[in-house]
Amino acid sequence: MSAATAARTTAAPTIEFEGVSFAYPDGTQALDGLDLRIEPGETVAIVGQNGSGKSTLVKHLNGLLRPTAGRVLMDGEDVRAVHVARLAARVGLAFQNPDRQLCAGSVKAEIEFGPRNLGIRGAELDERVKAALDAVGLAGEVDTNPYDMGYSRRKLLAIASVLAMLTPILILDEPTTGQDARGVARVGSVVAAAAAAGRTVIAVSHDMRFAAECFGRVVVMRDGSVALDGAPAEVFAEPHWPELRAANLEPPLPAVAGARLGLGSTPTDATLVAALVELAPERG
Amino acid sequence: MERSPLVPDPGSAASSPGLPRNLGLPEYVTRRPSGFYRTLNPATKLAIAALEVVTVFLVPGWLGPIAVLLVLAVVAAASHTARALAVIGLAASPLVISIMVVNLFILPGAVDPIFRAGPIAPTWSGLWFGLLTSTRLLVFSSAVALAYVTTPVDDLLADMSRRGLGRRGVFVVGAAVQMVPRTIERVGEIMDAQRARGMDTEGRIWRRARAIVPLAAPVVFGALTEVEERTMALEARAFTAPGRQTQLRVPADRSRDRALRWAALLALAGVVVLRLSGRVG
Repeated sequence: MSAATAARTTAAPTIEFEGVSFAYPDGTQALDGLDLRIEPGETVAIVGQNGSGKSTLVKHLNGLLRPTAGRVLMDGEDVRAVHVARLAARVGLAFQNPDRQLCAGSVKAEIEFGPRNLGIRGAELDERVKAALDAVGLAGEVDTNPYDMGYSRRKLLAIASVLAMLTPILILDEPTTGQDARGVARVGSVVAAAAAAGRTVIAVSHDMRFAAECFGRVVVMRDGSVALDGAPAEVFAEPHWPELRAANLEPPLPAVAGARLGLGSTPTDATLVAALVELAPERG
Repeated sequence: MERSPLVPDPGSAASSPGLPRNLGLPEYVTRRPSGFYRTLNPATKLAIAALEVVTVFLVPGWLGPIAVLLVLAVVAAASHTARALAVIGLAASPLVISIMVVNLFILPGAVDPIFRAGPIAPTWSGLWFGLLTSTRLLVFSSAVALAYVTTPVDDLLADMSRRGLGRRGVFVVGAAVQMVPRTIERVGEIMDAQRARGMDTEGRIWRRARAIVPLAAPVVFGALTEVEERTMALEARAFTAPGRQTQLRVPADRSRDRALRWAALLALAGVVVLRLSGRVG
């Protein structure tokens, strides 16, 4: 991506949820007085059991859902009054199911869809398409019909189509579902690149390993509010395992191995290996 | 040893005398509807709905629709479905409005204008015909909707299967009945996904028109994909295997159901015969 294109990504805003509650029309209380603040450029994984309110939470960021109580603020501005189409320029959301999103006859046209809606045309549009395809490893599929692709590649395409919008906030809903190890690594690199460009990245996930490896902060949700919030090393530390398990979550394997070996909190492969090397430097 | 979900825990409330025995079966198996209309057999409700529809359209003038409307109002109040029927009526409002406008202004042969303003001349005949047609439409849709909202699809399909419709026929009916709510749900999700990518569905009319393709394509392709997946899932679970299938739940078919069904079918036949013989209308 050129410096000029990257520069078009406006600075990420501060996000604040102030006592946000939301109930669906059938009476399901999805969010219950939730408070959360996300600073510009943070990478945040939102985890929790099914029905804990994760997807409902992120849909409040682009106005698809409006709180029944409380406020969602971006740089102090209440998003309740902002049109969804306008918020789309600031918040890109890749949905969990790519088939609810893909609508074009080719990969290129699919990726162009979002930026075109934002008024991007010409060379800049081409550049964005190329960058997004490169980011998800679909550069050779420009003319392929999305419905001729397998699920995992359709999922990557859906992510690419949102990446190309260059929104300061990028939200990925269950991005690793259906991905093999290479696909998960690809999504991880997308998160890292977006964060390096100063974008705020928020992912809803059930994949604890992905959350620990790729995000600087993990928010655990339970019953519509925040149960745990902190860096992976804090959230996945052994004292918090009962709370994680109460939310139907299991700590990632390196965290369990590190705790069993008495190495402290080692939520990622890298931290576990580093702790092991430190333990036995002569074999490192 | 892990306890089978079908065996109740001896110490649990489910095993206590006097309490319903929930054997860990899914809700669609153990569900027990309450209230007179809801507990009717699905075939009985279909027969009643058929009688109502025929009465609405074959009994001339206001008598048919008004009589059925009164029956529906009582049943809807008793079965707590008035709100659902009101929503369905609201959904039909664009059609009702168009019927009213067309009949009010261009009913063929109408020569009794309410007023004249240049070429615009709404007529009394058009007004009454539009009201009657709209009422028939609303009562007809309410009659069908009442049977639909008070009958779980599983019960309808189980009853049809028991009556020998055949598994392919049951599948076709089930897919058709479930298509509308599934499509509505899918359209909602697709609209959210496209709005999240900046598609304007709330702006000017030409902008909304442009949104049709990005909405329609995933709806159609998604539906086709779903059909394929459902077909394979059914095959994988021996859908076409020979032999009789086990029914997990069979809706009750009591003597009152049979009496009501026969009464409804006889009344239906009576309305048709009277109409054809010219004794009504």
